[in-house]
Amino acid sequence: MTYQDDVAVERALASARAAGRPCALATVVATRGSTPRKVGASLVVDPEEGLTGTVGGGCGEAEVIEAAHRVLASRHPERIRVDLTEALTSWSPAVCGGTMDVFIEFVPARPGGGGA
Amino acid sequence: MTQEESIPGGGATPLDAAASAALALEAVASGASAAAVLAVAPGAHAGSRLLLVVDPDQGERVHGTLGLPALDDSAVAVARAAVADPRHRDGLVTLPEDVEAYVEVRRPVPDLVIVGAGHIALPMARMGAELGFRVWVLDDRPDFATRERFPSAHRVMRADFSDPFRDVSIHRHTHVLLVTRGHRYDYECLVEILRNPARPAYIGMIGSRRRVRATFLQLLDDGIPKERLGEIHAPVGLDIGAETPEEIAVAVAAELVKVRRGGTGASLRDMERVEERYFPGGEGA
Repeated sequence: MTYQDDVAVERALASARAAGRPCALATVVATRGSTPRKVGASLVVDPEEGLTGTVGGGCGEAEVIEAAHRVLASRHPERIRVDLTEALTSWSPAVCGGTMDVFIEFVPARPGGGGA
Repeated sequence: MTQEESIPGGGATPLDAAASAALALEAVASGASAAAVLAVAPGAHAGSRLLLVVDPDQGERVHGTLGLPALDDSAVAVARAAVADPRHRDGLVTLPEDVEAYVEVRRPVPDLVIVGAGHIALPMARMGAELGFRVWVLDDRPDFATRERFPSAHRVMRADFSDPFRDVSIHRHTHVLLVTRGHRYDYECLVEILRNPARPAYIGMIGSRRRVRATFLQLLDDGIPKERLGEIHAPVGLDIGAETPEEIAVAVAAELVKVRRGGTGASLRDMERVEERYFPGGEGA
């Protein structure tokens, strides 16, 4: 994560808050094997503005976005393991061969808005 | 640091991701470091976080809480150790009560101050931003120092070369590149930097070998102490035979990475002596 990445994430979180909307933040907290993004990669899922950042794209990211929508509905964080090994035989260029643990948290519309 | 603020649990209000991101960004932009400790399991604690800000001048500040004073104590200790360890890598740790937490450290933002907004500044600003620098571009020509020309820069400023750094602070995380339209201006800016007691991480100045030699002689004449001349990277960049502005920017970018990370600047295959060791007829054959 470069300074520019951090600025983009911070702005996305701040603009959702300024508009009075909750959003979700997904962060790669652990990886095993070969993965498209490393620990620390993050993705803001804002139901109105869409996505900021990336945790790797492709099927893995789709799983994360789905989980983010569950988190937005439940207001409770989730930790998921995205498995990129199973499709190894598929010869798809997106195959990486590793797993990554992603923590997805609810970001309330107001500071201290709870949900954790 | 004030004792009260350093007491873990003292920042007992919960800290969410948005507030934490804003605090961490503010910290690193002002030369401080920050470490966030985010509980990821078990469920009762998951999502709570603590942020430690370490400012070299003002000491430590704790924000947020993991919910229990004992947990906050160990989170602060973990965060403090992570900030102090230059080889720290972000990742998971286990705290007391079997709480698993993700620790993330942010260091002070390195600044790249490009003085002169001409043809080399364009690729340099882009590459600098991609390398994680906060890029500043200065020029006295309003047509050159424009936001349109430097969309990836943090700030694009009009500056008078007689007082170029009036609105930019030069500190130990600053990298300065002097590429103005005239060697005279580069020289004036260089003297300005060298008369300042703050020592930037990097000073680079464009110019031919002959020019650079004349510059060093002039600097001594102007009373700049000899030991400060060693801080100047001139001629600028690594030797890769750069000719175009983009190539020169690559040579300088490589030098910036080298200064930051260490390294020799040589080709790895030469350091590995690939030809000698791996090719048939070499010593390994």
